[in-house]
Amino acid sequence: MRCERAAGTAAGSRPPAGAAGPVVRVPHGWLAELLGGDLPGVERTVELLDGLGLAVETVHALPAAPRRVVIADVVEVEAIPGSEHLVRAVAGDGERRVQVVCGAPNARVGVRSALALPGAELPGAGFTVEAREMMGVASNGVLASPRELGLFDYGGGIVDFGPDAPLGAELAELWPAESVIELELTPNRGDAFSLLGVARDLGAKLGVPLRVPGADADQGDGAIDDGLRLEIEDEAACPRLTLRLIEGVRVAPSPVWLQRRLAALGLRPRNNVVDVTNFVTFELGQPTHAYDRRVLGGGVLQVRRAADGERVTLLDEEERVLVAEDLVIATPDADGGSRAVGLAGVMGGLRDSVVRDTRDVALEAAHFDPVVVRKAARRHRLSTDAHYRFERGVDPNLPPRASARAAALIAEIAGGSVHPGVSASGSDVVRPEIAFRPSRVGYLMAMEVPAEEQRASLEALGCDVEGDQDDAWRVTPPSWRFDLHIEEDLIEEVSRLHGYEHIGKTVPAMHFVPPIHDPTHRWLREAVAAMGLQETVSYVFTGPDALARAAAPAAGVALSNPQGAERSVLRTALYPALLTAAALNRDEPALALFEIGHVFLAGGEEERLGMLWRGPYARGVWRADSPLDFFVVKGVLERLAARLGADVRCRPTQAPFLHPGVAAELVWQGEAVGVAGQLHPEVAARYELDGVYLAELRLPLAEGRVRYRDFPRQPFAERDLAVVAPVDVAYARLERLVRDAAGSELESVRPFDVYQGEQVGEGGRSVALRLRFRRSDRALTDDEVDGHMRNVMSAVRDAGYDIRA
Amino acid sequence: MLEEALAAVEAASNLQELQDVRVRYLGKKGELTRKLKALGSLPPEERREAGRRINEHKQAIEEAIQARREALERRALEGRLAGERVDVTLPGTRFGDGGLHLLTRVTNRLLDVFTALGYEVAVGPELETDHYNFGALNFPDEHPARDEQDTFWTTDGRLLRTHTSPMQVRYMEDHRPPFKVVVPGKVFRNEAVDATHEAQFHQLEALVVGERITMADLRGAIDEMAAALFGEGTRTRLQPTFFPFVEPGAEFAIYWTNPRSGRQEWLELGGCGMVHPNVFRAVGYQGVTGFAFGFGIERLALVPYGIPDIRAFYQGDLRVLRQFRGAL
Repeated sequence: MRCERAAGTAAGSRPPAGAAGPVVRVPHGWLAELLGGDLPGVERTVELLDGLGLAVETVHALPAAPRRVVIADVVEVEAIPGSEHLVRAVAGDGERRVQVVCGAPNARVGVRSALALPGAELPGAGFTVEAREMMGVASNGVLASPRELGLFDYGGGIVDFGPDAPLGAELAELWPAESVIELELTPNRGDAFSLLGVARDLGAKLGVPLRVPGADADQGDGAIDDGLRLEIEDEAACPRLTLRLIEGVRVAPSPVWLQRRLAALGLRPRNNVVDVTNFVTFELGQPTHAYDRRVLGGGVLQVRRAADGERVTLLDEEERVLVAEDLVIATPDADGGSRAVGLAGVMGGLRDSVVRDTRDVALEAAHFDPVVVRKAARRHRLSTDAHYRFERGVDPNLPPRASARAAALIAEIAGGSVHPGVSASGSDVVRPEIAFRPSRVGYLMAMEVPAEEQRASLEALGCDVEGDQDDAWRVTPPSWRFDLHIEEDLIEEVSRLHGYEHIGKTVPAMHFVPPIHDPTHRWLREAVAAMGLQETVSYVFTGPDALARAAAPAAGVALSNPQGAERSVLRTALYPALLTAAALNRDEPALALFEIGHVFLAGGEEERLGMLWRGPYARGVWRADSPLDFFVVKGVLERLAARLGADVRCRPTQAPFLHPGVAAELVWQGEAVGVAGQLHPEVAARYELDGVYLAELRLPLAEGRVRYRDFPRQPFAERDLAVVAPVDVAYARLERLVRDAAGSELESVRPFDVYQGEQVGEGGRSVALRLRFRRSDRALTDDEVDGHMRNVMSAVRDAGYDIRA
Repeated sequence: MLEEALAAVEAASNLQELQDVRVRYLGKKGELTRKLKALGSLPPEERREAGRRINEHKQAIEEAIQARREALERRALEGRLAGERVDVTLPGTRFGDGGLHLLTRVTNRLLDVFTALGYEVAVGPELETDHYNFGALNFPDEHPARDEQDTFWTTDGRLLRTHTSPMQVRYMEDHRPPFKVVVPGKVFRNEAVDATHEAQFHQLEALVVGERITMADLRGAIDEMAAALFGEGTRTRLQPTFFPFVEPGAEFAIYWTNPRSGRQEWLELGGCGMVHPNVFRAVGYQGVTGFAFGFGIERLALVPYGIPDIRAFYQGDLRVLRQFRGAL
C-alpha cells in the first residue's frame, strides 16, 4: 500500500474546486505501449477519451531531457579547502573526465548520474551551463539534480540513475518528450484508475487488442512453503491477499525508463523496489506494498481490526490513534502481541519501509472492502492513491496477477529471485449475470447498433457474452467493472463505444397540458421592481452574530460543516441581508431593494418577500426631495395589494428590529403575513444607517377574487367633520366609529387632514374626515345626509371625543 | 371725434383701459351715446344723415375695440406662457430605478423557453433530506459519488440540497406520467469559493417521463433549448459520463460564439441522461422511460456578460446589479 502521491494530490488536499473527482495521469506513450503501438496521436486520443466518458481535463506536454547532458559516473570527490559543502568532483562518461564543483550531499564516488556539459540549458535551474571557476577550482560542467534537469521535482541531490544506465549516453535519447493526458474520472469508473483500464477502453473503441502486462508472470504455488504466513481476522474486509517473497534484492535507484514513467505520473522515484510497487499501482490499478522481510515477526502478516486507542505512525510521519473499526495490517511483535504496521488500503507504516540494506522483500497485494477503506480515510483525513482506488473498487481478482507482475519486475530490476511459493488467501469472484436484450439499445437510445457490434464491444470490455436467442443474452461483466449491474448499464457501454454522436434528435409526442401558474413569483418580482425596487439575491447562510446584530430571530437550523462561523446557520429573515446591502450601498442617495427567497425557521422553511427603503422615495435632484416615511411604504404595499385585487391593513405591533412607534403587522386578505415599519434606531446605528424602512411578507400573497359589480350612477353627497380625540386613539378606531354610526348610505370615509398642536391642546389630535354618501337608486336629499351626520356626531360625542368647528 | 376715439382704442395698453375707452365713447353717458340722444333735436332732413354717420362711427369704434381686445388678450396669453416656460434640459425627478436581478432575468428567459415548449414549472424546498437528495436518486450509502456533491449537512441530519434533482422525486411522487417539468432553484455545495465557484448557486432541472421517451428525445430537447437561447441550428454535443440517477448518462455542451471573445467554442453546460430504473422504482413508476437534464444558471449569466467574479451576484452591490437592464 505504499504509494508516493502524485504532485498536486497531497494528503488531505481536496480536488480543485469544481472538479468532479480525483484526476489520473496517463502518459500517451505508455498507453500506446499497452496497445501495441496502435494508438492515434495525442489530439485524436483526447477526442476518443472524451467520447468514451473518460473526460480529459488537460494535457501536459513534458519536454525531453535537455541536450548536452550525458550519463556519467562520479569518479573522484575531494573537499575544497575553505568550503563547508562544495566539493571538487570528477565525472567520467567513459570517454572523457570532466572536473566540476558540486554541492550535492549525494555526490559520492560510484554514483551514476547526469553530467550537463557547457551549452546545456537546464530548465529547472534557469541557466545555461558554462565553464567557470568557483573557489579557485575550474568547473567545466554541472552534476545536476532531477529538478534542475526538469525531470521531476527533487532538488535534494544529484540525479542517480543506478548502475545499469548506459554510460556516456545522451540523456535526451533515454528521456524523450511525453504527453501526459490528465483525466478527471467519474466515481463509477474505479477500473479506469490505471493505464490498463484506460487502454482497455481505447482498445475496445479502436478494435485493437490489449497487451496485459505480466499476463504470463508466475503467480507462485501456494503449496510451496515460503516461510511466510497470513492471519486474516476479517475476511469480509480483506477478501483477498497475496504475499510473495523476493530474496536477495539490491536496493538501488531505479533505471532511467522506470524513473521516467514515474516522473510522468508526477511521482518522485525513490528506489527500485518502492518504485516498482508504485509503477504497478498505476499500471494495473492494484495498490501493492513491499515490506522488508525482517519487519514481519515470524514471517506473519496479519489483517485485523485495530484496538481502540492503538497507535501507528504512517508514512506521512504522523502518529495516528486508531479506533476499533479501523482495519490494519499488523505483524507479531517481540512480546507476543501484534503491532500495526499500516492502515489497510490507505497508507503503509513508516517503520516497515524498504531501506538501503533490505535483502528480502515481502510483497503484499490485497483487496479491501471499499466502505472500510473509505471510512478509515475519512476518519483519519487521509487521501491517497491507494484509498482513491479501493473506495471506487479495485478488481478483486487482481492481487495474484499484480503480485506476479510486481515480483517479476523487482527481480528484473533489483536482482534477487522470486520465491516459487506464495502465501495467498481468497479466490476469484464472478460478478452476477445480467440479462441483456440487444434490441433495448435501439429502444432506449433511438440508435441502431448491429448485434455483432454490440457483442464485440461487450467482449472487448471484458464481458462474457452468452445467448442463443437473438434478443436474450446473458452477459457476465468482468470482475473489475463494479458499475455494471443492470441492462441499462450495458446499454450505456454499447452506446458509448458506438458513439453518442450517433444519437438522433426527436421530439416526444406526449399528451400533457401544463398547468398555468407562477411558482417562481415572476409577476410579483416584476410588480415590485416596477415600483422602483432593485432585486438582490443573498446567501441563505449567515452567522449567529449577524442575526443578533439585526435583532432577527435566532437561527433554527445550523450547519454541521459550515464555511466559517459567519456562514454557520441558515437565515431566519431576509431583511438582515438587505441591511448589509444597504450599508454596502451607503453612498447611494436613495435605496429601494427587495429579495424573494427562503428563510429557515424552527417550524420549517418558508418563502418571503423582503423590502428595504432608505432616503427619499423620489429625488428632486435640483429641487426638494419627496421624503420617505412609513406612509410611503404603506402606499407601496397598498398598491401591490390593489394590483392583486387584495386588501392589506396595518395594525400596530412590536418587533425587536422595528421602531416601537412605527411598526405594523400586515394583514393581507384578513391574514397576518408579515410586518412593516421603520428600522429600530438602535439596530440602525449598528449599521451606521438611519431612516431605513422595512417590510417582510410571507409568500404566496393571496389574490382577491374579482367579480363584476355595477357602479353607482347616482350623485354623491359629501360632508366634512373634524374629530378631536386623544392622540393614542388610532385612526382605524375613529373610522370604525364613524362607519358604524353613519348607516348603510355611507360610501367612503377618508381622512384629509391630521393636526396636532396648540389648537387641540396637549395630547389631543384633530382628524378631519370627508364622508361620502350615496344611494344606488336615487339622489340623496340634504335632509337625509344631515340626518346621517347628526348620528355620526352624536356617536363621536358619546365616545367622549370633541367635534371641531 | 372718430379719429380721436380710434386713437384712444389703439392707445389702450390693457383690457381695463380698453374698457374705459369703451365707456367714454359707447357707454350710457358716452360721447357717441350723447350724440345719438341729441339726434331728436335735429331737423328731420338732417336727422337721418346724422344718425347714419353716428352709427357708422359706433360700428367702427366697436370693431376697433374688438380687434384691440383680441390683440391684448393674445399678448397677455403670450406673456403668461412665456412666464411658464421651463428648462426641459434640467434632470427629471428620480424615482427608484427598480429592476430584476440578472439571475432572475436569465431564469425567466429559460422558463419562457421551456413553458413555450410545453413544460410545467415547479419549485421545491432548499433544505432537504438524505432520502430526496441522495437515497431516492440512487446514490448508494458510503459511495464516493456522494463526496463529489460536497454537501452542507445540518446539525439535525438534514442537508442543503446539492442539486435540483430532489424535485424529480418529489414531483414524480405527486404526479402521474406523462409530463414535462422544469425546476429552477438554489443549490448548495460546500466547496472552496473563488471567482468561478460559489457555495450557493442556481440550477435548472428538466424531467420528461412518458411511455417511450428515448435518448434521442433528450438530445432533441437540448437542441430545442439551444436553438431558443442561441439561435436555430446551434450545435450540441453529448458525451458519456456518470450520475447515479441516470443511465445512460451524459454531459452536454453547446457550440456557441462566446460573445465576449467572439470565438466559437463548446460551452459545457450540464449533465443529462435517461432516468435510472432505481429512481423510477423509488417513486413506484412502472413501464415508463424518461430523461432528465440539469445545468447551472450562473454560467449562462457570467459568460455572456463577461462578469469576472461569480460572487458579484450575491453581494447586493448596486453598482453591479443595476447594470443589467433592458433586453437580455
